[in-house]
Amino acid sequence: YLFFSLSTPQENTDPQRTAFLLRKQWALYSVTPLYKFCDAHLKDYARLLSAFIAAEKQKGLAVEIGVELDIKVAVSSVPDLKGSDRDQAAILVQLSLRSPASLKNSEEKLVWSGCFCCVFGDHLSENVPEDFTCLPLFLVNGAESYTSLVGSWFQKTFDCCFRRLAISPLNLSWMATMWTGCKVDKSTSAVELIFSVPCQPYPLDISYAIHPEDAKALWDTVQKTPGEITQEEVDVFMDCLYSHFHRHFKIHLSATKLVKVSTAVASAHCDGMIKFLQSKYLTGVLMLLTELAISQIQ
Amino acid sequence: MDETVAEYIRRTVLKIPRDEIKTMLQKWGFLSEAQLETVNFHQIKENISQDVVHLCEENSADIKQAAVLDIIYNHIYPNKRIWSVYQMNKRGEETEVFDLTDFKKKFKSRLRSALKNVTINFREYEDNAIWIRIAWGTPYTKPNQYKTSYVVYHSQTPYVFISASVLKSNLPLLCQALVVASNYHDIREMELRSHSLNSLKDIVFKRYSQNFQSYYPRPLQERNVAPETADLRIIQENKSEKERIQRLNREAFGDGPQPKLEFAQYKLETMFKSDPKMDVLDKKEPFRCLVKFSSPHLLESLKSLAPAGMADAPLSPLLTCIPQKARNYFKIREKKGLLPESFVSP
Repeated sequence: YLFFSLSTPQENTDPQRTAFLLRKQWALYSVTPLYKFCDAHLKDYARLLSAFIAAEKQKGLAVEIGVELDIKVAVSSVPDLKGSDRDQAAILVQLSLRSPASLKNSEEKLVWSGCFCCVFGDHLSENVPEDFTCLPLFLVNGAESYTSLVGSWFQKTFDCCFRRLAISPLNLSWMATMWTGCKVDKSTSAVELIFSVPCQPYPLDISYAIHPEDAKALWDTVQKTPGEITQEEVDVFMDCLYSHFHRHFKIHLSATKLVKVSTAVASAHCDGMIKFLQSKYLTGVLMLLTELAISQIQ
Repeated sequence: MDETVAEYIRRTVLKIPRDEIKTMLQKWGFLSEAQLETVNFHQIKENISQDVVHLCEENSADIKQAAVLDIIYNHIYPNKRIWSVYQMNKRGEETEVFDLTDFKKKFKSRLRSALKNVTINFREYEDNAIWIRIAWGTPYTKPNQYKTSYVVYHSQTPYVFISASVLKSNLPLLCQALVVASNYHDIREMELRSHSLNSLKDIVFKRYSQNFQSYYPRPLQERNVAPETADLRIIQENKSEKERIQRLNREAFGDGPQPKLEFAQYKLETMFKSDPKMDVLDKKEPFRCLVKFSSPHLLESLKSLAPAGMADAPLSPLLTCIPQKARNYFKIREKKGLLPESFVSP
């Protein structure tokens, strides 16, 4: 990346509709384009997925679900969750557990959510034949066992491929830098970088948290053009933080592995996990993640 | 036997690893050898604990006796708790002879005068360590045996190790009782915390091998015979650098095993300084940071950083001073005056 503009809040999205994404831990996957997926058939897909899960349960392959409990599948479109009009609207799959004992007035407990989305994913969707739907980013919250059930069904049905989205230290540095620069009301969240040093025989973890005002003040002197970030500026910002650390501890953070960054905007982990903390910047973070997912696919 | 006592004994036994249960019950001494013979210690723990509870019922165990079993468990497995270190101060130089009975009496009466609902147990060990177990209640409720604080006091020293558990509000009262009972003047919390009680003792009692200044060059180690190539010179340079790092590491950390700490925390309030060429932040106010190091064995992992190339040798004194300063929580401010590069830790 050479340039990357900071996100501006979307004016026409209803934050209520996308609030379900906030303050939860989401595991990230990249998904190759779905073949012959049609958003008019969502109810059918729900029915088929439900039957698939029931069949797997019969085979004894589904886990932890008691015989009494019933899994209800809902597949819906989230039109507010996209970047431009060229993006496919996001698709949300939700699994709930319902006890059949009280069928009429049953309490449903949401146990698993999976969201396929594409936020400003033009350069993927442009290059893909008509029959394919581009939703390269998949966010999951819930048990691994459900994830593999739903994933298998989608793979079989739409001939797509899921891969866990790894986030490199380089990308994490970008995120830390970008999110430091974001204006956040009354933030008390530090800009925290977590490093892992796999020394033998005792590994070391280092948490380096900077007061958000001080981190932003530093970034403001590094950034040359508001709304734009260059790789060089990210490097300077990170080097400043590393050298301040080195001055005190004589440890080269650049020789360690950056594994997690956490700010008031969001937190991201190198194993492909994200937590969105500000609805204002939701689209911006999703745009970045879509970009990463597309890179992983290509 | 009280229901709550039975349940408490049952849960305590369940915590003990199965192979250790019999030994621990023998140490406890509340059940006779004959009674212990009737228990099958090879069955599952749930059943063992039930059997033990039945035997305790036969002997009409009360909470005080159950508490002793808890002390024994915590004495053998202290690392399950997190310990803080406190230092007491005396006014003047008088050293009084320590009287254990007097200590226990004063401690109990001080605590009970403020809070009637407490369970207090003492147990002494060979190394002059006095273990105190306190279960806290409120003015209106009986002591909660699951909300306990532990105190380890070495009577020949001014140090007290406290594992306060949840009820931090009782800490001032606890500290007061200790000071009164031991005839000291006051008590302060040192910035030193760890799961490893023994390591904390090693640090404050200076039982680890400390660093030293070596004025004599160490004999060079046996070299492997390197293949005869033109690279001989390069290998030599690297070797001498490696040796330099080892020597500096030894000077900083000493030769022996390091006390076992799991974390160190630094609150930095120093100025941000950068290369003037970089044209970045040049504020007059501190660049506020909080740095936490964590590891299963912090000092050993710090020691391995320079040889691994992740850090310079010598490592920063902020890190190597941890055992001598007997602290692992620091607040670092800029030192004003002649040496802008040095730091003070209040």
